[in-house]
Amino acid sequence: MAPRQGTVFRLAWPLKTILQRFAFLALISLSVALLFLGKANIGVIESLRTTTTDILSPVLTTIAQPVDAFHKAVARVHKLTSLIDENERLREENARLLKWQAVGRSLAQENENYRQLLNALSDPLVLPITARVVGDSGGPFVRTLLLNAGSRDGVRVGQAVVAPLGLVGRIAEVGERSARVLLLTDLNSRIPVVLERSRYKGILVGDNSTSPRLEFLPTNATVVPGDRVVTSGDGGMLPAGRPVGIVSSVDERRIRVQTFADWNRLEYVSVLRYDLPGMSNPDENPGDLGESRLDAK
Amino acid sequence: MTPTIAYQFNRFLRGSVPFAVTFLLALLSVVPTGIGGFAAVTPSFVAMSVFYWSIHRPYLMNAPLVFILGILSDFLTGAPLGLSSLMLLLVHGVALSQRRVFVGKTFLLTWFGYLLVAFGIALLNWLIACLYSLTLIPLAPVMMQFILSLTVFPLLAWVFGMLQNNLLRHT
Repeated sequence: MAPRQGTVFRLAWPLKTILQRFAFLALISLSVALLFLGKANIGVIESLRTTTTDILSPVLTTIAQPVDAFHKAVARVHKLTSLIDENERLREENARLLKWQAVGRSLAQENENYRQLLNALSDPLVLPITARVVGDSGGPFVRTLLLNAGSRDGVRVGQAVVAPLGLVGRIAEVGERSARVLLLTDLNSRIPVVLERSRYKGILVGDNSTSPRLEFLPTNATVVPGDRVVTSGDGGMLPAGRPVGIVSSVDERRIRVQTFADWNRLEYVSVLRYDLPGMSNPDENPGDLGESRLDAK
Repeated sequence: MTPTIAYQFNRFLRGSVPFAVTFLLALLSVVPTGIGGFAAVTPSFVAMSVFYWSIHRPYLMNAPLVFILGILSDFLTGAPLGLSSLMLLLVHGVALSQRRVFVGKTFLLTWFGYLLVAFGIALLNWLIACLYSLTLIPLAPVMMQFILSLTVFPLLAWVFGMLQNNLLRHT
């Protein structure tokens, strides 16, 4: 009996090693296969991905809280040191902004009057959903954010995501309670934009650097550093006129745009529910349509 | 004599420490830090963990677990699915095949080993990501990530060593 057991063991030992080798190679092949499959946008993989982020987003929210608290504390101490200067600066700024507010009000009224005279269609109502940033892309290859709001909150693929200062990106994937934002700076990002003053239209192309490129401008367009870039609203997915950034450098080969969004301090962002009547399918976009009908009432 | 259920459960919990720690690191590496530009150069904590445990407790960090961790981190970071799992499996494979070189030797040797592996993986990762998106992705953040990872590795290895000595001494 004993010798037989010995033989079995001697036979089983290399078998186990072979199995392990096989598993290793099989898993490597599986990873490569997944890389290829991922290119094809297969629904199962997509839903697996969103389910995982759905499950993990509350965990990430919890982990992010102490980190946030720490940063707030540091920022507080930092602010204390420059309290008087800051106060002085804010007073001046407030005085300046009050003047601008008066100008803005009268211009808005004037604009409204002209619209009525021309019987122009007003832009559809845009409703923001505020979501917390619970994850960023921990690596050099993608520029994305993970939000803790999903389809149950009305977030849909393609919606614009804005920070207080300007456009951040758009929604690329939506789960039940989490969503992924493709940032302007990601190399897959393409945003239709327009130069605010000269009204030349172009496409803002991300390339994983902090300042995206401005491309596909008309050949006769004149661009100088300092020009403001806003969304053009072409394609009907993004509201028009949202600030994006300013042209930071112009040379023969490329035009770079410095974005208004502060990439380091994105704690909360707003997802814009936006819907052009007749352009989106109510079944695919129920959250949008339901809300944007509010202005018809 | 079969061990009691409590003992087996205890053993299972201890045995899952390498996986659990790596999973936690995968979560931590996507938590927004608020430090400028850090998101793009976050050290590859998961790869470090896989490297360390593949050397010191290969049966608790086997290929299927490494694969799952890779898939999870791809889901979390939004990277092309399969990229991290491929890279982590390669780290695991190299570490496993060379573990005799590292076990029981000075830490500096492990560090040097990590340098070689991490550098190779960073370049390969960059190459595949470029091919995947058919564009030239800036190499600077990749190298910065490599250097940061290299700097953080001793600290993490020390923590892993503590865990290993306290929780996994007899497993």
